[in-house]
Formats: sequence, C-alpha cells, structure tokens
Amino acid sequence: MIDEIRRVAEQYPVARSAILPALRIAQERHGGWLPPEAFEEVGEALDLTPAYCKAVASFYDMFHLEPVGRHLVELCTNVSCALVGAQQVLEAFEEELGVRPGETTEDGAVTLRTIECAGGCGWGTVVVVDHRYREPVRAEDVPGIVQELRDAD
Amino acid sequence: MPISEILLAGASERDLTKLEEYHMVGGYAQLARARELEPAAILAELDASNLRGRGGAFFATGKKAGFMPRDSPRPKYLTVNADESEPGTFKDREIMLRVPHRVIEGSLITAHAIEARHVFIYIRGEYLTEFEVLRAALDEAREAELLGGVTLVLHRGAGAYICGEETGLLESLEGKRGQPRAKPPYPAITGLYGAPTLINNVETMATVPKIMELGGEEYAKLGTPDSTGTRVFSLSGNVVRGGNYELPNGTTLRELIYDIGGGVPDGRELKAIIPGGSSVQILTADQVDTPLSYDAMREAGSSVGSGAIIVIDDRACIVQLGLRVAQFYMHESCGKCTPCREGTRWMVQLLNRIEDGDAEEDELDLLLDVCDRILGHCLCPLGDAAAMPIASYVDKFRDEFREHVRAGRCPYGGESSLERVFAPVDQHRGHPTVEVAT
Amino acid sequence: MSVPELVTVSVDGREVQVPKGTGLVETALAAGIEIPVFCYEPRLGPAIGACRMCLVEVEGMPPKPQAACTLTAQDGMVVKTALTSQLARNAQNATLEFILVNHPLDCPVCDKGGECPLQDLTFRFGPGRTRMTFPKRTFDKPIPISPTISLDRERCILCYRCTRFSESVAEDGELVAVNRGAQSMIATFEDEPYRGRFSGNVTELCPVGALLPTTYRFEARPWEIQTVPTVCGLCPVGCNVNVTTREGKVKRVLSRNHPDVDGGWICDKGRFAFGHLGARDRIVDPLRRQRRRGLQPAGWDEAVDEAERLLRAAQGRIVTALSGSETVEQAYGLAKLMRTGLGAHTAVLPEEISDAVDGFRLPLSAIAGAELIVVVGDDPVEERAPIVDLWLRAARRNGAEVVTTGVGGGAKACRQLAGEDDELGRRLRESDRPVLIWSGSGGAGGAHVAACAERLGFGSKPDSGVFYLPLTPNGRGVVEAWSAASDDEGPDPDPIGLLFVSGDEAASDPSVRSLAERADAVIATTMFQGSAVGWADLVLPGTSYLERDGTFVNLEGRLQRLRRAVVPPTPDELAWISQLAGRFGVEVSPYPSVVFGELSERIFGGLPYGEVGERAALRGREPTGELRAPAPAATPKGRGLRLVRYRPLFSGAAVERVPELAFQRPAAEVQLSPQDARRLRIKAGDEVDVRSNGTSRRLRARIDKGLVAGVARIADEHAEELQATVEVARA
Ligand SMILES: Cc1cc2nc3c(=O)[nH]c(=O)nc-3n(C[C@H](O)[C@H](O)[C@H](O)COP(=O)(O)O)c2cc1C
Ligand code: SF4
Ligand code: FES
Repeated sequence: MIDEIRRVAEQYPVARSAILPALRIAQERHGGWLPPEAFEEVGEALDLTPAYCKAVASFYDMFHLEPVGRHLVELCTNVSCALVGAQQVLEAFEEELGVRPGETTEDGAVTLRTIECAGGCGWGTVVVVDHRYREPVRAEDVPGIVQELRDAD
Repeated sequence: MPISEILLAGASERDLTKLEEYHMVGGYAQLARARELEPAAILAELDASNLRGRGGAFFATGKKAGFMPRDSPRPKYLTVNADESEPGTFKDREIMLRVPHRVIEGSLITAHAIEARHVFIYIRGEYLTEFEVLRAALDEAREAELLGGVTLVLHRGAGAYICGEETGLLESLEGKRGQPRAKPPYPAITGLYGAPTLINNVETMATVPKIMELGGEEYAKLGTPDSTGTRVFSLSGNVVRGGNYELPNGTTLRELIYDIGGGVPDGRELKAIIPGGSSVQILTADQVDTPLSYDAMREAGSSVGSGAIIVIDDRACIVQLGLRVAQFYMHESCGKCTPCREGTRWMVQLLNRIEDGDAEEDELDLLLDVCDRILGHCLCPLGDAAAMPIASYVDKFRDEFREHVRAGRCPYGGESSLERVFAPVDQHRGHPTVEVAT
Repeated sequence: MSVPELVTVSVDGREVQVPKGTGLVETALAAGIEIPVFCYEPRLGPAIGACRMCLVEVEGMPPKPQAACTLTAQDGMVVKTALTSQLARNAQNATLEFILVNHPLDCPVCDKGGECPLQDLTFRFGPGRTRMTFPKRTFDKPIPISPTISLDRERCILCYRCTRFSESVAEDGELVAVNRGAQSMIATFEDEPYRGRFSGNVTELCPVGALLPTTYRFEARPWEIQTVPTVCGLCPVGCNVNVTTREGKVKRVLSRNHPDVDGGWICDKGRFAFGHLGARDRIVDPLRRQRRRGLQPAGWDEAVDEAERLLRAAQGRIVTALSGSETVEQAYGLAKLMRTGLGAHTAVLPEEISDAVDGFRLPLSAIAGAELIVVVGDDPVEERAPIVDLWLRAARRNGAEVVTTGVGGGAKACRQLAGEDDELGRRLRESDRPVLIWSGSGGAGGAHVAACAERLGFGSKPDSGVFYLPLTPNGRGVVEAWSAASDDEGPDPDPIGLLFVSGDEAASDPSVRSLAERADAVIATTMFQGSAVGWADLVLPGTSYLERDGTFVNLEGRLQRLRRAVVPPTPDELAWISQLAGRFGVEVSPYPSVVFGELSERIFGGLPYGEVGERAALRGREPTGELRAPAPAATPKGRGLRLVRYRPLFSGAAVERVPELAFQRPAAEVQLSPQDARRLRIKAGDEVDVRSNGTSRRLRARIDKGLVAGVARIADEHAEELQATVEVARA
C-alpha cells in the first residue's frame, strides 16, 4: 500500500498533494474507514505525521473516522431533494434498515447517512449506494434497494 | 423553445465521450488552431466573447487569464474547478458526462493561452462515474498525443463544499485542509505551490473551444450584452421536468420553468424561486418574468450564480427552508474565520427556535442582525453566501416568520414539504467529539 | 544594504511614513493607533486573516471592511480604524460578539484572567451584554494534551496560532485542528501527548486561557506576581526569559524575545525545568563527613572552617572541576581563590572552547537568512542547542539549503570541505551567506570549523558565520574567567590532595568521579543529594541559575545578564567563595557587580556591569590571527558501527527532578541510518541488541534519514557502558 501511495504521489510536484488519494486507498484497505493505524501508514508513505493525516481526513466528509457497514447508503437531503420528498425516502430507509441516519445496522451490513447536495437535484431524491448514484429514488423504491444490498452480501 | 446547442453541441446525436465521435464534430480542431496562434490572440478572442466565469462569480474569463504574468520563473498552473457542490447545481456533471473531450480541449487551449504546462482538474469526490468518464477521455487524448507535452492530472476531492472556493481548492490540492486563503496575494501571482495559477470552472472551459470556433465576436451575439452566450441551467425542485438545459443567457425564468420544465406539478402554486444556487437571494412568484442575465437578476435583487434554478411551490415552509439552508452552510463552513464559523451555528439555533414556535418577535431582528454581522466580514464568500439568502427569506416572507412567532408553532402544522428534514449536521448530535449542533 | 522605499499612509487622519511593505497593523502602531488582533502573529509566517478582529476601512478598496493583518502599507493609502470609521467599528463589534458567542465567561477562575487579550478587548470594545441565549459548545475540559500543557476547548477561539506554531515554526506536525466548521477543535493524534521540544510556546501564543501550562494552573493571579527578566541557564543558547514569581517562588518561565538570540521562543526544558528549585533532595545545609556517621549537616561557619582546613591540607595539590553552569563571576572568584590564593592552577574545564570562532561571529538570527548551511558533527542540533534548530528550520523555509555532514568524523569532514575539489566546499566558497555549525564532540572547541571557514574565505564575507555549539550553558564564560584570574601555570598535582567539584554537572561526570577516587579529599558544591553525597568529604549547597546574579556568555559569544529571580534557600556560591578567599588573603567581592568590574577590564573590554543590558548586544568579530586546525583525533577502527553518544536535551540534574518532563526523556532507542538498517534487516520499531565487548543493551531501533552509514547513535543515558564500536542485531 505504501508503494501504491508513493506511485500516486509521483503525479504531483509535492508528495503531500497525494494525501486525499492516499487516504482513499487506506480507507478501502481498512474496510471503509480510517482506524488510527491508517494515519500512521499514510503518514509514513508521504512523510507526514499521523496527526496531520487525521487533521486532513477529518475535514472531508468522505472519510470515515469510525467503522462503517459493508454497504454505504447516502441520501441527499438538501433543498432540491427535500422539496420532492427526500425525508420520506429517508424514513423508508430507516424503517427498512431499522437504523437512524449516521448508524450502521446491527449485522454490520449497511450504514445509512444523509449528505449535502450530491449534484443530482433535477432528479431527486438522489441516493448514493456504494458510491454510485441512483436517481430519482422514491419511497417505494427503498425495499428493492435494501433487498439488493442484502442479496449482494 | 430556445434550447441551444453550443456547449453541448453534437451530444444528443453522438456519443461524444468517444474521441472518434468527437473528432467527427470538429473536436480538437480548435486546439490545433489555437496552438498555431500566439497566446495573446486567444486572450483577445476570449475578451471579445465577453465570456464570464460559469462558476458563480461571473468574472470576465479573458481578463482573469490576463492577470497571469507573462514570464514567470516558476511553472504556471491551470486548475479546472469541477468541484460542483452548490446546492441545486448539477450542470458541470452533465458537461463532463456528455462532452468530456470538450472540457479537455478547452482546458488545453486555455493552458496554451496562459503558457501553462500543467493542468489539474479538481473533481468532487462523489462524482465517481464522471471521474471515470473524464479519465477515459483523458487516456484517449493522451494516446492520440493531443496533450502536446502538457501534464493533466485528475484530482478527486473528498467531500467538502468549500473546496469549490478557489483558494480552498488550491489548499486541498496541496494536500491540506481545504481552508480558503487570505487574498491578496491573488492566485494569479501566488497560487498553487506558490506559483501563478488560473482557476476556471468546467463549463467555462468547455465553452472555450466553441468561442474559438465561432470567433469571440460571433459568440458575443448570443445571449444578452452583459451576459453573452449560453449556459447549461440546472432546473430542480417542484417542477415537472427537472434537468439540465442549455439556453441563451437572458431566457426568462418563466420560459425555463413553464415552457421547458413543464411548470409546477400536482396543480400547486409557485411560491418562490431560487435562481442561482442556494447562495443567492430568493425571488417571489411574481418575479418569474425576470431574465436569467447578470444585470436583470441584479436588478431583481438576486443573482444567476451557478445557473441553478430551484422551484419552490406553496407546500414549503420558508422558515424550514431557511433552517435547511443554514444547516448546509453551518456544515460546510470551513471553520477558519470567526463570523462564518460562529454565525452559521447561531443562525441554525435561531431558525430552529423560530420553527419550533419558541422565538420572540425581536429574535427575527436578531436573526437579521446576525446575517448582517456575517455579511462582508468573512475571509471568503461562503459566509456571505449563508447570510444573504437567509436575510432574503426573512425580508420577503416576513409574515410567514411572524406567523411562527405569533402562533407559537409552524403554520404548516407538519404538512410542509420540508418538515423536519434530517440534515447532515444532525448526525453530529451527541457525538462524543463532534458535539451538538444546535 | 539598500535603503527601503518609504511610503506615506494615513491612519485615522494621522500621516506616517513607513518602509513600503510594512504590515498595516505595524503601520497603525507607528501612528500610535492599535488595531486589535488575535490570529495575527508575524512570527508564525504569513498572516492568515482568520479571526477578523483587525477589520478596518481602506479607501479605494471594495466597500467592505478589510483585514488589516493581511495588507501592507502602500503609498497614499488611507486607512480608517474603528476610531474613525463606523464600518470598521461595526465589523469589530461583530467579530467580538461572534467570538464570545461560544466562549465561557469563566474569567474569575481562568488562569489567563487579568492578562488575557480577549478579556482586554472585550472590556474595551465589547457590547457588555450577550444576545446569545443558546447552550454554548461544551467539551470535556480541561484535557491534558501533555503532562505540561492542558487544553480547555471551550475557551478556544480557533485563532490557529498554536497549530501554526506546530506546523510552521517547530515543524513537528503534532498539534493540529481536526473536524470542520463549528466542530473544529485543536487536538493531538489520538491520546498521544504533544511531544515537541518547543511545545510550551503554544501556551504563550494562545490569546485566551485555552492552552495553559499545567504547572501554572491555579498558582497565581496577575496582580500578585513579579516578573524578573533574566536568561535561561540550561543550554548555551541563553534564551532571554521573564521569570514569574509569587511570594518568593518561581511559578513559570516565559520568553522575553531577544530577536537576535531566540526570536521569542524557548524550549520546554527552559520553560518547565524550574521545578528543580524545590526538588525533594535539594541540599540546603552544608554536609560534612563525620567519622563513622557519614555526611552530617553542618553550620556554615563550621563548613567554611572545614573547607579552609581541607584546602590548606592539600598544600596546593588541588584540582578544580568546573561545570560550565557557573556564572562568569563565580568562576572568576573560584579561580582567584585557587590560583592566586593557593597556587592551584589545575582545572578540569567543562569543555574545550577555542576563541577561533570569534573571528566569524554572527548573531543566531542571521542563520534564518543564510543561503547554505553546513552542520558538522554527531549530535542532533536540537539536543545540544534547541533554538538553533528553530533557526535552521526558518532558514530552510526561507529557501536555504541545510546539509549535515561528517557524522562520526567531523574533523576529517572539515578538512575535506576546505580541500580544493570538494563540491560542497566550492559552494560554500561561492556563497555570500554561508554558515558552518559544529554540533558534537571532538570539535576542539570550534578550532576545526574555524580553520575550515578561514580556508573557505569566510573572513572576507561579513554575512558568513561559524557557530560552535558547546555542551554547557556558560562553558565559554567559565573558561574565559578561569584564565582571566591568573597567567601563572603549575604542574598537575600527583597525587591529588584535594578535588574541588563545582556544580552538579561536574559531579556527575564519570571522569571527575574517577579523579575523586584518586584524591585524598573531595569538596563538592551541588544542589542535589544525588550528585556528590557518598563520595565527597564536604558538600556545600549549590544554587540554580534562577537564584543568581551575574553574567553568562552564550554560544555566539554574547555576554548576557543573569538576574536573581528568587532568593536561594542557602547563601550563594559567591558569598562563601568570598569568605573563603579572605582566609587566604585573596580579595573576592561577594557582589557580582564588583567582581564583574574587576574582570571586565581583562576579558570584556571594560564594559560596565550596568551596560550588559536587558537585550544584550553582540560584540563584533575579533581577529584571530592565523588559524591552524589541530590534528583530528583518531577514530576507532573495528568491525561494526561506530557508537555516537549524545547528551539529550531532556536530561541532566534539573530535568530529572521535574516529573512533568519525564515523558520527554529520550526513549531507549538506537538511531540507525537507512542504509545500515537495510543491511542489518532492521525495521523502525524493531527491538535490537546493541553489543560491545561483552556488554549488551536491548533498545528499539529508529531510522534516521539524516544519519550517515556506519554509525549507531544512542542517548548517553541508554548507552551506559557500551564501547566505541558496537554490533547491532535484531533481538
Ligand atoms: C463557497 C464557494 C463555493 C464555490 N464552489 C464552486 C464550485 O463548486 N465550482 C466552481 O466552478 N466554482 C465555485 N466557486 C467559485 C470559485 O471560487 C471560482 O470563482 C470559480 O471556480 C472561478 O471559475 P470561473 O471564473 O470560470 O467561474 C465557489 C465559490 C465559493 C465562495
Ligand atoms: S467564510 Fe466560512 S468558509 Fe469562508 S473562510 Fe470563513 S469560515 Fe471558512
Ligand atoms: S488579526 Fe487579522 S484576521 Fe485575525
């Protein structure tokens, strides 16, 4: 992994520029989140302190500092999506998964989160499932999506 | 209706993500021609076109490029802003998905115009598919030796609205927390890695090949004199056909919302319009005939911003709208400067109280005063972007705010379309290190 | 030097002329107007414009308030501050209100209260009433971010001074801001302590009571304290400090910013080691060996009588061992007693100091502006003279190249540098602002580097410089004082009749200990029981640099004034040296000022005591005549790695007595070059055995990119009895 990060860093005039890709690689390796060791590894690869790496990671929403489920369901509740029923879609997910936003199902399968505008406003509600956009999603589509995740597991 | 195809030209007929197809519509011909020209000649075309930046600030593109020093002992950089995170905006995404080569071509022409050998495209981290499409296009272009010795790096963000602000973007690209920098010095002098840097929006870049093709003067005939050319407008909210539409600047909101977008669905009434992304002032239904141009919008007390039109019908509680918008800015404030960091949080607290019906009348004035105290005092425009819209909601819908105070509850009685929307800041509630939001 | 262009700026109607490019905050100050700031601190690098306290109106700029801290003076600029501009006044009120929105009003119990910039500004500009009616941000508080620093996040106003210090001054990258927006907070990594050598500076930078020294919590209020300006006596840099005292006790040590010496920073040893004054094993009464009963407390008269008796009994066969932490006056008084009173000219000097480097004298601050810096030697600069490391970092940030060379064989490296076809030497010769620094043992007191500098043509370059980093805080002063007392010489005594050990450092030096074994009698002056009790016949209580008046000479050759911050629990050394000297017909004044007056003629050009100054000046370069480097000491040969021992910053008698500094003590590790580590298949963090001649130590490996191959570097206290050549293998 350290070599992989260093290869990415070669694209930039200054290695530190590779910290976002590096953290992304580390997050993938660590099952979707960044445990303390991850900051040590990224720090070693880019010659930065773990504290610095964590400072950067905690600034960005796509890095998780706590464990997440095997699947990530992220739902936009910003204005455009909210106007067309994002809250109802969210509630459908809460119902189906039995968790509140920010939580992970007990079996560790799915983490549900709300996010700010994902950039699909004209086709709300936007739901991002494992980094791929689904749009538009309505409350009635939710059981199908959850089933799909359970099947894939 | 006047759906134009300048920037998206050819994309409905062909799969322009493929280099081969892009060549068929004259792709990269302008790049070849531009490389024959002196950089100054390209800047002159841009000046003649009166192209203004499509990222939201509306700065004249040719003029900004002209700020770049001619000779610099350090390398020069072009940075393309593909961070698109302004609520309501999804047009850069469309452009990247449908005409990725045009983005690359425009960037390479611009790089030549400022004599930069290095281009970075900063694309928001959530845009995975878009990144893949752009990467494939870039690989094709590189394979076809179109880069002409220029290095072009696709850099993915990781989820932070503030990285769309140009100096926040540079910090992020340098591997830091994406907190904006104090200006001066301006990026054209001290930008990426301390070197001269030009930052432009994706749409701005994708327009450049078309300007070269038509000629600056010809391009300037499109749109209105103050807002030349076309834009890809993002239409969303309570409208039948949301989506991206390329139209000449100066098209009215009515044409866009009703003629193209099919109007407000379910027989509801139009209540308000946010004409340029969540950072701009709200317009009331009676302003629906305002043209989408710089001057006209300014006169109407708002702005075209990022070209994102959010349609709001009569089911929406404006206090809840204010709360949700304030929550967004609170969540996205970078935390560097005091008024924005503290002010957005205070705004959220006040709006929550008003929505709950617990506020006193003078707290509406306090809310306005908090907005006023943020406005013009922050390090970067994000603070203003939070204060201006919220202040406009209170101004234009004061009665509705009063009603919350007077009745001691939300007049929509739980029936508002924005009722209790769960915002990302709410996820921080009760978190051991990331404490209570309100 | 070129004269900077002057520009005229109007601030609130007052015109001032300042050099073009002067910051607007400083420009206003020149006009007698204060622009309030929080985040602005030029020593931390370019202004960041974060707090928005400094908003002013500037004519001709966009019609909104501008952050004065990010602007510089331009000719014809018209600036209006809150004094004359409603726009600026509104802006400042707004910022102050926002800062206070989440700031607890716990000033009565806050240690910063009474000396808090936020409190002062609130008092001057604040609204007097809060409009905030919501719960403020709450955090667990205070949390220790190290044993010496506590953090109260509720009080933090996120000015980012501390994190900028960590990132761009100390460059330790340990103290950072995490999260974003209203959730932002200052933190270290997980539960790790902030382990920088300079961490304490953040407690001075913090403009509120968020970062406080744990050693000062609830210890004093600003109106009951005294401040004594003095210099730190713990390393050869001699940082200028203010010592806070209350009721005769030292409560804290703060920087006093000598721009040429320390730039306003001090290291954690200088800041936190004052606790040694009250150490439990501090000796406050003389101790005299009684037959069978061992050392017993004695009265002062008895002790001086006994000292006189022992000195006479030795019949001139006396050796004096000095620590290098004595004041110049104390060393001179002792020298006079021994040399003129007793004819005893033999001394174990704290270290060898050559005056050759004085020909290339330069203020430390000039390092920051150097072009090419070559550090020669074995010891990490930050362990020997920590502030010099900060100057080196500043130099690097300013574009200088810093090269470390000659680890394990500095003298040879010097020769090579000065040779005809050495590439680095050529560049030093060509540079206008080259600097040479010797950091380590075997440097012949600077003679090697000085000779090298001369051959590289430094003599004709006023901006070049040579620094020799001594091991002891006043080694230079002590050596000069010893030689100033007499020109006579005498044979080394054999056998030794009396060994006189001055100070705890000398007492803990193994070579001094072995002399003691050969001496008929030993007199020691030490502060602590642990140092000499057990092998001395008479122990006279010692004092600390914080308890003495006098002068010190730092590594630049700068003479600085030490002031007594607190009265020692025992007469100071000069008092009884004076008394004792009288018994031998030698006049030594008990007053440092008088002693200085006498010796100044001989070694400081007659400078009066009163003019040593609060911010001492540096003497000019002194011609040294022809320089010849001594022959380098032979480097031990043999298989395996050459052991380089160094004295860590956080070591020594004072540090050992301060529990808060225990976490800063050097880890039990051996530093290896990446090449050796690879060859020996050792990874960072591995447990390794370091062996020589039958002794073995188990240590953890650390890979240091700055180290040359062939060397194993270990802190003194962990190297113990290891020999000069060691074998290292994974355990
Ligand atoms: C908070 C904030 C967010 C922004 N986000 C974006 C963005 O996502 N994309 C963008 O192109 N410009 C964004 N901008 C505007 C940029 O700062 C900058 O003006 C723009 O990229 C310049 O390109 P242009 O001249 O081509 O418009 C943002 C500005 C602010 C203050
Ligand atoms: S206005 Fe907000 S986002 Fe911009 S610098 Fe200030 S805190 Fe950061
Ligand atoms: S002092 Fe200028 S913004 Fe803080």
